[in-house]
Amino acid sequence: MSSDTSATTPSSNGNSLSLDAWALIVAFLLALAVRFDIFKNIPW
Amino acid sequence: MASSISLTRVESGKPLTSALRIVPGVLLLAGIGYAGKTLEHSVNAYAKAHHWTFPNIEYVLWAILIGLVISNTLAIPKIFQPGIATYEFWLKLGIVLLGARFVLADVLKLGGISLGLVVIEITLSLALMTLLGRLFKLKPKLTSLLAIGSSVCGVSAIIAAKGAIDADDEDSSFAIAAILALGALSLFTFPAIAHGLHMNDVSYGLWAGLGVDNTAEATAAGALYSDAAGKVAVLAKTTRNAMIGFVVLAYALYWAGRGQAEAVTNKAAFLWKKFPKFVLGFLLMSLLVGFHAFSKGQVASLGNLSKWAFLLTFAGVGLRTNIRDMSKQGLRPFIVGTLGEILIACLTLGLVVTANRIWGL
Repeated sequence: MSSDTSATTPSSNGNSLSLDAWALIVAFLLALAVRFDIFKNIPW
Repeated sequence: MASSISLTRVESGKPLTSALRIVPGVLLLAGIGYAGKTLEHSVNAYAKAHHWTFPNIEYVLWAILIGLVISNTLAIPKIFQPGIATYEFWLKLGIVLLGARFVLADVLKLGGISLGLVVIEITLSLALMTLLGRLFKLKPKLTSLLAIGSSVCGVSAIIAAKGAIDADDEDSSFAIAAILALGALSLFTFPAIAHGLHMNDVSYGLWAGLGVDNTAEATAAGALYSDAAGKVAVLAKTTRNAMIGFVVLAYALYWAGRGQAEAVTNKAAFLWKKFPKFVLGFLLMSLLVGFHAFSKGQVASLGNLSKWAFLLTFAGVGLRTNIRDMSKQGLRPFIVGTLGEILIACLTLGLVVTANRIWGL
């Protein structure tokens, strides 16, 4: 069971900052890369 | 649960070592996700070429099913575990990037409706789960954890509450197992019921966001119905997640008042600590698009990046669901959870249908 707890470990004890912070940093770095056409026309 | 894929902490050790440790598992997630996407196209093309009547199975379901088969038939080597544990990071990254696909006016309108429904849903769900916990004579703190998990946001809420109300590990494990098992079931039941009721995308998305507990499962349940429903499900679920601090604070104060948990000294700091910060990223991204910071093509690229991130999440949802481990958990918490979730699903469906009649969703 501890496995699942650790899957969301960054949220444990309310300390969700680390995972959230990483998600925010990477998301906005990607957004910057898209904004300045470093990444163009990303397909799906 | 999921002892065979014990998801270890990602951030331990030196940064470079940690980064390298996640590579195999992330590649596995990407491989499963991409296989799901390829299967969707190839199976549909094959069925069409042979004039078969075959239901359109979306990549979401394929990715989950492949993950489920792997985690329930093979012992996944430890080398993959740290990377598999990143599925929650991909989920949050996908949600922040999804903000680009929302016009701010839609966020405000749907978010406003969601907020109203979320407040009603949380109040009724907490009352219902507390009542069921008492009826089935569950331990009071286990009842609190089940109530928090089913009313707010699943596993994250239970883990956040565990420390705040000083619950023991066993209770948390029971509550998490029940929520995850029911989340897995909802992936198949919610879309089927919605198709039977001919629900529109917005109504269904709201229902999935309100009724499915864990964010990853709510996102997948929404995307299983349609892309538009997936977007709305994420918005409704994110609104629900934003309430986590208030609910956990209320429970912390309750248990502290009974001398069975530490007192909360600074309520504002407590709320901020529990607030899921990625919600702010979602709103900021939507705001930036609203202010035309990105061209139309760039918005499409951001939306596609969000879909890629979700693809890895869906693979992770399948991989972490271990049916054998779920069956090992206690029966009573599972019965309480199941009864509660069925009632909450009916309740939220009623709320959404009413909202649809009032606001014409």
